[in-house]
Amino acid sequence: MRVNAVFCGMLFFGVAFAAATGRMDAAQRALLGGGAQAVELCLSLAGAYAFFGGVLGVLREAGVCDALARRLRGPLSRLMRFSPGEEAALTDVSVNLAANLLGMGGAATPAGVAAMRKMAGATGGRASEAMLLFFVVNTTSVQLLPASMIALRAQAGAASPADIVPATLISTAVSTLMGALACRAFEARARRRR
Amino acid sequence: MSALLPLLLVGAALLALRARCDVYAAFVAGAEESLRTLAGMLPPLAAILTMTALLQESGALPALLSRLSPALGALGIPEAAAPALLLRPLSGSAALAQAREAIARCGVDSRAARLSCVVCGASETVFFTGSLYFGAARVRDTRYAIPAALIGYAAGAAAAVLLV
Repeated sequence: MRVNAVFCGMLFFGVAFAAATGRMDAAQRALLGGGAQAVELCLSLAGAYAFFGGVLGVLREAGVCDALARRLRGPLSRLMRFSPGEEAALTDVSVNLAANLLGMGGAATPAGVAAMRKMAGATGGRASEAMLLFFVVNTTSVQLLPASMIALRAQAGAASPADIVPATLISTAVSTLMGALACRAFEARARRRR
Repeated sequence: MSALLPLLLVGAALLALRARCDVYAAFVAGAEESLRTLAGMLPPLAAILTMTALLQESGALPALLSRLSPALGALGIPEAAAPALLLRPLSGSAALAQAREAIARCGVDSRAARLSCVVCGASETVFFTGSLYFGAARVRDTRYAIPAALIGYAAGAAAAVLLV
């Protein structure tokens, strides 16, 4: 699937719907305001990113990141099926997965983006098997503790705010497993066609 | 829990000092790399958030939701929880707003509200993460990324419906 097609599909459908229902003024507001949302989001993230980036920089200098990557090299290479050249992203992939598990989104996302960039540098403008699996694992697995949802339920006066944790963990595990299996199935189909 | 990050940085600094590194220079270099990454994230984020806002404000999404919610009811999903489940892969903030709505309408310990919260906490915003990761990496052909991620999401949501 092409990002271009998704973008154009959303654009044409949205504008056509607004035209048909007489909501062009709302559509115009949305188009002008969407970019501002992105800027606000990035600004609100910048402080945490600078902090986590700094911590990671210190950990890297101290050799901790390389040690983590060395430990995970064997199991990760088997799971991810890196193409030649993509192993340069191994440190960032390890940091991303570790930070995700611990719920440190401020550290996970920059590492994830850096990992994708390094893998893309090795494969050109097309997503590779390792990049796709890495993306799907990132979209389906989240922190061990869904802190923001627990906070939301506590604020609303739930009897036991954290009792959604077991169901959340099982749901996350099922989604990661099925997402990874879907990747394997799509990849096998692509190979058969070639 | 609040001691975690201070201790993390102190521990990292001690390790770096033991390896005879310049802690300050390492922190600045790491922060610079991270902020550069953030700057690279901004353009794809602007693109996807603008399109999401367009679909929401033009009424296309709300219309789609009111069509699909009764259909999901037939699958055992409470109608009040359907909007959050449908919006989750597209927009994190819209799904969260729907979870709040379910809490306000049905009560925080109702099945609809609990299901909305479980699904919001167990997944990521697929389209947002996709445009971020592939956009920043300048990947034009994402192949089966979105279908595979949505299959994973649907399986996780189905598990949540069975469990809650």
